[in-house]
Amino acid sequence: MSSEVVIEFKGVWKKYSKRQALNNSLREELVSLLTGRKCREELAEGEFWALRDISFAISKGECIGLYGPNGSGKSTILKLISNVTYPTKGDIAVKGRVAPLIELGAGMHPDLTGIENIFMNGTILGLSIQELKRKSPEIIEFSGLDDFIEAPVKKYSSGMYLRLAFSIAVHSQAECYLFDEVLSVGDENFQGKCAIKINELKNAGKTMFIVSHDINVINKYADRVIRLSHERAQN
Amino acid sequence: MIRRLLAYKDLLLVFIWREFLIRYKQTTIGVLWAILQPLSLMLLFSFIFGVVLQMTQKNYPYTLFYFAGVLPWTFFSGSTNFAVTSLSHNINLVTKIYFPREIIPLSGVAINFIDYLIGLTVYLLMLLFYRIPLTWNFLWLFPLMALLLVYTTAISLLLAALNVYYRDVKLASNFALQFLFFATPVIYSIDAVDNRWKFLLFLNPLTFIVENMRRVTIEGRGIVLWQMGAEMLGIIVLWLAIYKIFARIERAFADVI
Repeated sequence: MSSEVVIEFKGVWKKYSKRQALNNSLREELVSLLTGRKCREELAEGEFWALRDISFAISKGECIGLYGPNGSGKSTILKLISNVTYPTKGDIAVKGRVAPLIELGAGMHPDLTGIENIFMNGTILGLSIQELKRKSPEIIEFSGLDDFIEAPVKKYSSGMYLRLAFSIAVHSQAECYLFDEVLSVGDENFQGKCAIKINELKNAGKTMFIVSHDINVINKYADRVIRLSHERAQN
Repeated sequence: MIRRLLAYKDLLLVFIWREFLIRYKQTTIGVLWAILQPLSLMLLFSFIFGVVLQMTQKNYPYTLFYFAGVLPWTFFSGSTNFAVTSLSHNINLVTKIYFPREIIPLSGVAINFIDYLIGLTVYLLMLLFYRIPLTWNFLWLFPLMALLLVYTTAISLLLAALNVYYRDVKLASNFALQFLFFATPVIYSIDAVDNRWKFLLFLNPLTFIVENMRRVTIEGRGIVLWQMGAEMLGIIVLWLAIYKIFARIERAFADVI
């Protein structure tokens, strides 16, 4: 295991708003477009800090467990790593392709068949069409869907749906995998397969983030745990 | 934009392919809908204005006249209509995974463009059927199509981004499209318009595009070059401005959507 740092958070703060719509955000954006970004450190009405001054560095190949109660900012950290959102303040450096399994099956469409959704979801996770053509037999095999793969996803049971989504996700060729409460997918048999797959990824030197509020899941996989109490991170 | 999209080329292709599949899943006549919609509008207009109201349109065959207007219009309205809700209806994607957001509205423009091209083939067959002589000026159709495409893309991106912030945009755009339909010479010719109003109508780039598409295909006349230059300049500046804003506010989409 090398000690090359692949993900680094330096004093990251993230502010969210409780208001339904940011009434003046477009104007704010236009203003900041003209004046350049400035950091707004004070909280306006209805705003709160989801993260406050979070710093950590993750080396290549580490498996990190993020543990904490609801609302402590676990998912926000994953969203920041995957570039879905940006920090209000602070710096984030991420190297390599990230597979954000923040929600399984994002981008799956109920009217499309399993195989069509493999292409849909796979490209969203950053695979090319060529790679998917090569990998789809493997993905189908892992999901164990067999003859259901030609049926529209809306005809699937919820377990089948999750198995397909998980299977696509773990076959995406990323350097870093973010698992958000998704490791309790499927029946015992499938969970066993998941555990094997995760160990395989670990041995292949992939970096992993596992988010859960179930300490057992985290203890099972993680080398290091970052505990989030409301707003602050402790190693 | 091109460089950004090149990196996500496959995703754009898959999105287009997905929209195409979804659109015609569980339909019985499938892609025929692409022809049926403009064709039925053309027949409706020809019947009402040609047969019922007995209006003549510059001595063109009615059907050709209306079809030439309906095609670019349905492309524009179809694309923008798709684009408005394209981001706000895909909250799942926007809040969970990063990719250049313009891919979603662009895929809508692309499938509508496919429909447009199918309709255009029918239009060409009709031109042959009416024995309209083809001239070199016909080639002007392609730069006109490019203008239409760039303009539609710009408006689609703008509406998609605005609707992330304000859902009023969806409601307003339905309404605005109906207005714009009458401000575009689909069911009339700009030549029938009094000079006082012509200038106002030409503020709408679609007026220029639709009028000239008729002119180069049915009449075989060329385009006035300075007009073409001015329209191109205007549309490109508009596109650049909108794209710049889009790329700038895109990163906040996940937080406000």
